[in-house]
Amino acid sequence: MLTSQFLTYVAFFVLSAIALIGAFLAVTLRNLVRAALGLILSFMGVAGIYFVLEAEFVAIVQVIIYIGAISVLILFAIMLTRGLMTSAASTQNSQWIGAAFVGMLMFAVLFFVAITTNWPLAQPHTISDLIPRLGADLVTTYLLPFEAVSLLLLAALIGAIVIARE
Amino acid sequence: MINYLWLVPALPLAGAAINAIFSRKMPRWLVSVLGVGSVGLSFLVALAEFFTVLGAGAQGVFNVSIYSWIPVGNFKIDVAFLLDPLSALMLLGVTGVGFLIHVYSTGYMAEDESYGRFFTYLNLFVFSMLILVLGSNYLLMYVGWALVGLCSYLLISFWFTRPAAAAAGKKAFITTRIGDFGFGLGVILIFVTFGSLNFADVFARAPQMFQLGAPIITTITLLLFAGAVGKSAQLPLYVWLPDAMEGPTPVSALIHAATMVTAGVYMVARSHVLFSLAPFSSEVVAVIGAVTALFAATIALTQMDLKRVLAYSTISQLGYMFLGVGVAAYGAGIFHLMTHAFFKALLFLAAGSVMHAMNGVIDMRQLGGLRSKMRWTYITFFAAALAISGFPLFSGFFSKDEILAQAFESGHIILWAIGLLTAGLTAFYIFRAFFLTFHTQARWTEDEGRKTESRHSPSSVVGHPSFHPHESPASMTVPLAILAVLAVVAGFVGMPSVMGPNFLEGFFAPVFGEAAAAIPAGTEWMLIGASVAVGLIGIGVAYWFYIASPEIPVNLAAQFKGIYTLLWNKYYVDEFYSAVFVEPGRRLAMFLWQVIDVQVIDGFANGLGRAMASFSGALRGWQTGYARAYALLMLVGTVIVIGWLMLR
Amino acid sequence: MPILVPDINLRIIAPALIVTVTAIVVLLGELVTPAERKRWLGYLSIAGLVVAAFAAFSLWGANASGFSGMVVADNFGLFLTLTIALSAALSILLSIPFIHAHEIDQGEYYVLLLASVAGMIVMATATDLIVIFLGLELLSLPLYILAAFQREDTRSLEAGIKYFLLGAFSSAFFLYGIALVFGATGTTNLAKIAASLAQSAGSPMLSIGVGLLMVGFAFKVALVPFHWWTPDVYDGAPTTVTAFMSVAVKAAAFGAFFRTFQFALPALALDWRAVAAVLAVLTMTLGNVAALLQSNVKRMLAYSSIAHAGYILIALVAMSANGLSSALFYLLAYTVTNLGAFGAVIALSDGARERLEIKDFAGAAREHPLVALALTICLLSLAGFPPFAGFVGKFLIFGAAVETGWAWLAVIGVLNSLVSVYFYLRPVVQMYMSEPAEGWSGIRVAPLVALALLIAVISVIALGVFPAPAIALAAGGLIR
Repeated sequence: MLTSQFLTYVAFFVLSAIALIGAFLAVTLRNLVRAALGLILSFMGVAGIYFVLEAEFVAIVQVIIYIGAISVLILFAIMLTRGLMTSAASTQNSQWIGAAFVGMLMFAVLFFVAITTNWPLAQPHTISDLIPRLGADLVTTYLLPFEAVSLLLLAALIGAIVIARE
Repeated sequence: MINYLWLVPALPLAGAAINAIFSRKMPRWLVSVLGVGSVGLSFLVALAEFFTVLGAGAQGVFNVSIYSWIPVGNFKIDVAFLLDPLSALMLLGVTGVGFLIHVYSTGYMAEDESYGRFFTYLNLFVFSMLILVLGSNYLLMYVGWALVGLCSYLLISFWFTRPAAAAAGKKAFITTRIGDFGFGLGVILIFVTFGSLNFADVFARAPQMFQLGAPIITTITLLLFAGAVGKSAQLPLYVWLPDAMEGPTPVSALIHAATMVTAGVYMVARSHVLFSLAPFSSEVVAVIGAVTALFAATIALTQMDLKRVLAYSTISQLGYMFLGVGVAAYGAGIFHLMTHAFFKALLFLAAGSVMHAMNGVIDMRQLGGLRSKMRWTYITFFAAALAISGFPLFSGFFSKDEILAQAFESGHIILWAIGLLTAGLTAFYIFRAFFLTFHTQARWTEDEGRKTESRHSPSSVVGHPSFHPHESPASMTVPLAILAVLAVVAGFVGMPSVMGPNFLEGFFAPVFGEAAAAIPAGTEWMLIGASVAVGLIGIGVAYWFYIASPEIPVNLAAQFKGIYTLLWNKYYVDEFYSAVFVEPGRRLAMFLWQVIDVQVIDGFANGLGRAMASFSGALRGWQTGYARAYALLMLVGTVIVIGWLMLR
Repeated sequence: MPILVPDINLRIIAPALIVTVTAIVVLLGELVTPAERKRWLGYLSIAGLVVAAFAAFSLWGANASGFSGMVVADNFGLFLTLTIALSAALSILLSIPFIHAHEIDQGEYYVLLLASVAGMIVMATATDLIVIFLGLELLSLPLYILAAFQREDTRSLEAGIKYFLLGAFSSAFFLYGIALVFGATGTTNLAKIAASLAQSAGSPMLSIGVGLLMVGFAFKVALVPFHWWTPDVYDGAPTTVTAFMSVAVKAAAFGAFFRTFQFALPALALDWRAVAAVLAVLTMTLGNVAALLQSNVKRMLAYSSIAHAGYILIALVAMSANGLSSALFYLLAYTVTNLGAFGAVIALSDGARERLEIKDFAGAAREHPLVALALTICLLSLAGFPPFAGFVGKFLIFGAAVETGWAWLAVIGVLNSLVSVYFYLRPVVQMYMSEPAEGWSGIRVAPLVALALLIAVISVIALGVFPAPAIALAAGGLIR
């Protein structure tokens, strides 16, 4: 038991480090393609953390959507936009000190909450149980949000066409 | 008849609405018929209502609810009218004087290209004033209060092509808004305190809930009085009224002499229950009134612009009214309000007639000798001047005397003395204006007029090809004559007890209660004698200075140059306000704009104070225009909000 | 595992459903409508909105909840639904000639607008934080596109992108807030949150969650200091879109704001009321002061809309039945008034050339006396000048604040509305008290714009002079 807990800690810190390094690369690298790859690294770290937290479904969704779809979309967008590939403009502007400062403050507040909160624990479950329940919930309890999301996607689709149309 | 009360305000409103929408497509005579006719009909209805109240005697208080306006929960505000002797008299004044001035305007404004617009505003004003007077709760009164302010603003700036007119409108608006804020706060406080805004509720509850001198009542009344100070042009907010003379003269007569500026007096009289409970506030009202009366009268002594003399005179006379209501002589204050409406409207209209004849010239240094050219104007002005001077048996004599007597009797000897001195000054300055305008040698020639810039109306020059003083048309002289008759005889409704019955006191009994014990006959005669003597001295000195030995005022002005300059410059109050309030306000705004917005906010967004000259191009208003800066500022706001919520 | 039959009650969501169906019909109709007949799509949209309004009206008093407690058809939500439908219909009336003149008359304009309306209705009637969030996104996303609809105009594109970026930013906060509230209470359902909080004490996590929810709402209704996007976006977006955004988004977002805070979080009222009071003061004051400095009408109205959000927030601080109904009335009054003002601005434009600088309005009263009169009435109403709708609205809100012991907030509100008169009167002064600028001749006001203006102005006067029926309706609009 002790070993498993220890291993969990190790996994958590390693994955967190991956997520943080990826995020750091994403905001500091000058080459946009590399920055996007950094972002993918960060997403992967987060997906790993979901796994450690036994939220396997979310982890898989994270991989499929964020890494599989969104990151690829970002890469496509970068490659299709003239001039972005080669540009080496500074990724920093004069605002970064202020942003870092306020970001730290935000972090301090959230960190304080994280350590003072008595976190409720989820019920143990097996993955074979989880996914059918999720599916059932989506067409029963969460039917309306589910439909609203579909409408949202339709609106997004139309919007994309309107913006992209010459 | 009481069921038709709503017609009184509704008719002018209908006139205003029709003229607003259709006047451009209607012939002028139709505009006149609608504009004048609606107010005329309104006057007839008001007259009938007046006699209803008169006939009802002690029961003459009617609450007429038209409909439920703002019902929220158990708190309801109706559009309801309160018809009692006080409002009935005000109705007559507003519609009656209003009607005469409308008739006068058909002649005075005949050649103005914005004829329809003028009558729209004027009708709208009459409607608003009637709402103010008739409203049976403070909210409705506030509605009227705000609307008359708007109309006043529109009408002062009526000839907007003149920069002075536009500036004067702005000044009036800004100054009276300061007072309005006080009035608004007073209304809120009344609501908080009494849970109602209805006059009936508030006045019934106030004596039960509070003792004499309760701080909350004192606060409420002082706030209300702040509104009155702005609207009725008292110290220190009077500065807008002299400038308001840039508006057409009928407007000066109607709004800035006879009706709107008296709204403050009406409001204090209407709230007399509250003021009676607040001796300190009443004292403030009386002192400000008396001091304003004297202060404005001294300025009027040296002014050369005839309309400005009358404007300062109005401020001074309003001071008298506040002195009256401040010493709890509410009936006397309203009495003076009424007689003042007649003689001051008459003075303004006569001045307008002079302007009409002299192609807009109003500077008394360019007038003189008009006596023979304009008989009617001359005679009516003379009657009004006697009335305002308190010449025995003229209307002003009775009303002014009653205020002074009540001030004396209530123990305000100093205020009485100030009032008495002011009466003398009043008689002097009004006869100075009278002599300089109508007597003395003509200080104009046939050629001068053509060079003079027209101040009557920019467009009316066409109608006056030659500078040739003449009597005004009947549409102007007939209202003058009617007002003159009223200015002479109106005082007999409120005679002092030693001379005859005081009808007005009995008439007002349902509102203000039974009259106080009569003043002893000896004292009364003494006070009357003092007033009359002072008035006659004033007239006599004016005659001596301007007719008998015209060199005296010139010598005096040279000898007391300091005082003369001070008065001529109106105590430099405008300059003082400009230096103390306007300029620092402008600088503060510029400072905030440049330092806080441009440097601090942007600077913060760009690295906590880093210089950013490259930004100036992107600077639009307060905003940097950069989404990243906005995002950072939002983040700052978020941290503050959640930090605060967490730390509580 | 067994799947329970969900409780589907389409009647409850009928208004949103009808709007959605209309949007899809218009989308399909776009394919078969020739270019010169595009305005028929606009008429179709208005017809759909009218039907949706009737549906909402027929639900009045139903007080039915459905979809596992996700939405409710209570009078509060229905009142807002009606307000939103009215604002959308008036906006489309203004839009039909406008987008034609600007050569952007594509059917998608109406589709996006209707999708946004559907999102607004969902948001106003939602009783679950998830649904509120989805409504928020559904209303926002089409607006990002609509803001950028004038693609030839870089300022319009800029507005769209800015709105999108910052909107996404604020959505993240809002979503995070939902997550934290869920973490603290174990539910996203408003009623259950209220029940949970009634028993347990608050926690730092809950406080932060509530704060982040507030930030999310504050962004949407443009409260200081989350308002930065407003002037730029309102300025850059097509005028009709600005008109629509400035009123309808406020109605929907404030609806959810009130529902969430007054209904689900009364247990924390001591905390958030103080924050909201400070935000209200900041918002009113900054909005009005900044508006004083503007020379562009759209920017001025943008800052004015910020200030009005501050007034409405006072009603939330009051947290009473009267506060709620006063906010509903205010939103309705603000909707017709602001649309009237924008309508007049559009009416005074010369085809595709708009007059947006205040000095451009010089002498409008001589050329277009009725439009000038309409604009004057609307601006006076915005300033809270009696006897127009805005005055009654302000009176109700300040009255609610005074009743609940927030008189000082009401005093600041009164002071602010007195200040606001100055900038609202500036266009009036230009119209009535300046010599006409050139280029007025030959401008004809489009009949549809005139119609919208007429409806708006009549409503402004009616709501000011005879507000009793609307007040009664709003007072019946209590949250279930």
